[in-house]
Amino acid sequence: MERLSNNLSKNTAQSFNLMRSQTKWTKTYVHNHLFRYLCVFSALFLGITLFSIVIFISKTGLLVFKDVSLSEFFFSTKWDPENGKYGAAVFIMGTIYLTAITLAIATPISLCIAIYIAEIAPNSLKNTMRSLLDLLVGIPSIVYGYLGSTILIPLIRKVTGATVGDGILAASLVLTIMILPTITRIADDAICSIPKELREASYALGSTKFQMITKVLLPAAKSGILTGIILGMTRALGETMAVVMVIGNVAQFGFNLITPTSVLTSNIVMQILNVDFDSTWNYALYMMAFLLLMMSMIFIILIRKMRPKGVK
Amino acid sequence: MKLKALFKSIAAVALSSALLIGSSFAANHQANAEQMSGKIVIAGSTALLPLTQQAAKEFKKLNPKVKIVVSGTSSIAGPQSVSKGVATIGACDWDATRSVGGFKAYSDLKAYKIAKIPFAVIVNKDNPVNNLSIKQIQDIYAGKITNWKQVGGKDEEIVVVNRVKGSGTRVNFEDKILNGVDIKTSGDNYIEVGKSGDMVNKVKSNPNAIGFADLAYVKGDIKAVSINGVQASTANAASGKYVFYGYGYLLTKGEAKGVDKAFIDYMLSKKFQNGSLKKLKFIPVK
Repeated sequence: MERLSNNLSKNTAQSFNLMRSQTKWTKTYVHNHLFRYLCVFSALFLGITLFSIVIFISKTGLLVFKDVSLSEFFFSTKWDPENGKYGAAVFIMGTIYLTAITLAIATPISLCIAIYIAEIAPNSLKNTMRSLLDLLVGIPSIVYGYLGSTILIPLIRKVTGATVGDGILAASLVLTIMILPTITRIADDAICSIPKELREASYALGSTKFQMITKVLLPAAKSGILTGIILGMTRALGETMAVVMVIGNVAQFGFNLITPTSVLTSNIVMQILNVDFDSTWNYALYMMAFLLLMMSMIFIILIRKMRPKGVK
Repeated sequence: MKLKALFKSIAAVALSSALLIGSSFAANHQANAEQMSGKIVIAGSTALLPLTQQAAKEFKKLNPKVKIVVSGTSSIAGPQSVSKGVATIGACDWDATRSVGGFKAYSDLKAYKIAKIPFAVIVNKDNPVNNLSIKQIQDIYAGKITNWKQVGGKDEEIVVVNRVKGSGTRVNFEDKILNGVDIKTSGDNYIEVGKSGDMVNKVKSNPNAIGFADLAYVKGDIKAVSINGVQASTANAASGKYVFYGYGYLLTKGEAKGVDKAFIDYMLSKKFQNGSLKKLKFIPVK
């Protein structure tokens, strides 16, 4: 009796299962499609957002050329909006100069760190170093800026004898510390992904470790390292809070490194809150934002172009 | 049977008490409805922020149905957001209905003077200079005096710190101290900072710096210099002997109405003016 009922329930359960699996199948089918639309919508949403940012910034920014000539905006160094002078050359040059100096300091250091982590350090240290670097990436920029303005600037005053201490030197040192982990981690990944055979072949040919690293590893990891450098560069380009605290914010060239100066980002953030919405001044600031956007976009496109063939 | 009776009586008690509570709630509700309700959005000056925040806290206690949102970005944001309709009340360190310091006049707004704000010219605590005349301050900012030696200090170059254009403190500094003298806005010894806090940090960390800020910021490693021999204090600013002060204004689109008016009236009330406002180192205007 018991067995019979057991059997019966088993049978019914089986048939139920069959039915359920059919409904389940349609359910899965619907879920599948819904999920697909959700994904498509999310991707579209991102695309539309980016597109509207570009449209909005460029539309507002380009209005500046109604009152200011192209050549004045790009080549004049006189930024005095209260008196109708909108020359942004100081900021454009400042941004390029600051980024270049930062990279000149940061690249060799991060390359050395990356090589150390990837090739020289013992395994236990490797992982500590990597998590340490990941931690550094996550530190908010305002913290770097604060340390820069309270510790670094008095130090610069002492060492260089400058009266103020704010300027390109302070800003580039702060930025260097900020982009160091980015470049290092990506370069480290690039070096680690090189197949072991290359190293062994190089040793087998009688090269020293130094020769192996400089002649084999670095050239082989070149595109990965360059990606890291460019990513670091875009971060340096766009960094605002840390820079504004140590650069001095004066519209003049700061080529000697310790003269207070200003760059695109710091100038925008200092002034954007204090201008009338529909003034040429406001449009000029938007134009600067547009320039920054274009610069980082160009760099991102460069990264995509530089990837080795076959990698998508 | 007994049990049933007990249930009945319990039910009766519960019902009647529920009715009672309900009616008392209803009464409460009616009383609340007579109170004000609405939303106030305050934007603008950071210098006035402590004041508006405190007032908002107290006003909310008195009128729990009123929602108040207080934010602070910059003085010019006050009149701008009110005139655009983003905020109902704008806080500004100058009378934005007039054209001041290169900013246009917002003629569609109405300004209410709510407090006198004392400012201070500040230097590092290690600086031996304790007094400057208005002329000396003007010359320092114009770049004519470049060494502390020239005003009785050490033989060190002066580092001039200025606030960014649009700062209410800077507008008042130009209005009350500089009097139309142009600032030298370039050179190795000139920097600009965004906020009062940044100003204080710069002067704190640089022994040769000079700057200016609300008197309330003066403590720790910075000190306020006397101007024309008059010590920077709320008492001297209240009496008018000390010249470096300004007024804080609240702005509304047209005449203030409803909750906005009630809020401004509260800030102008004797209780607030002589209580919290004084405590926050502002000077009553009434």
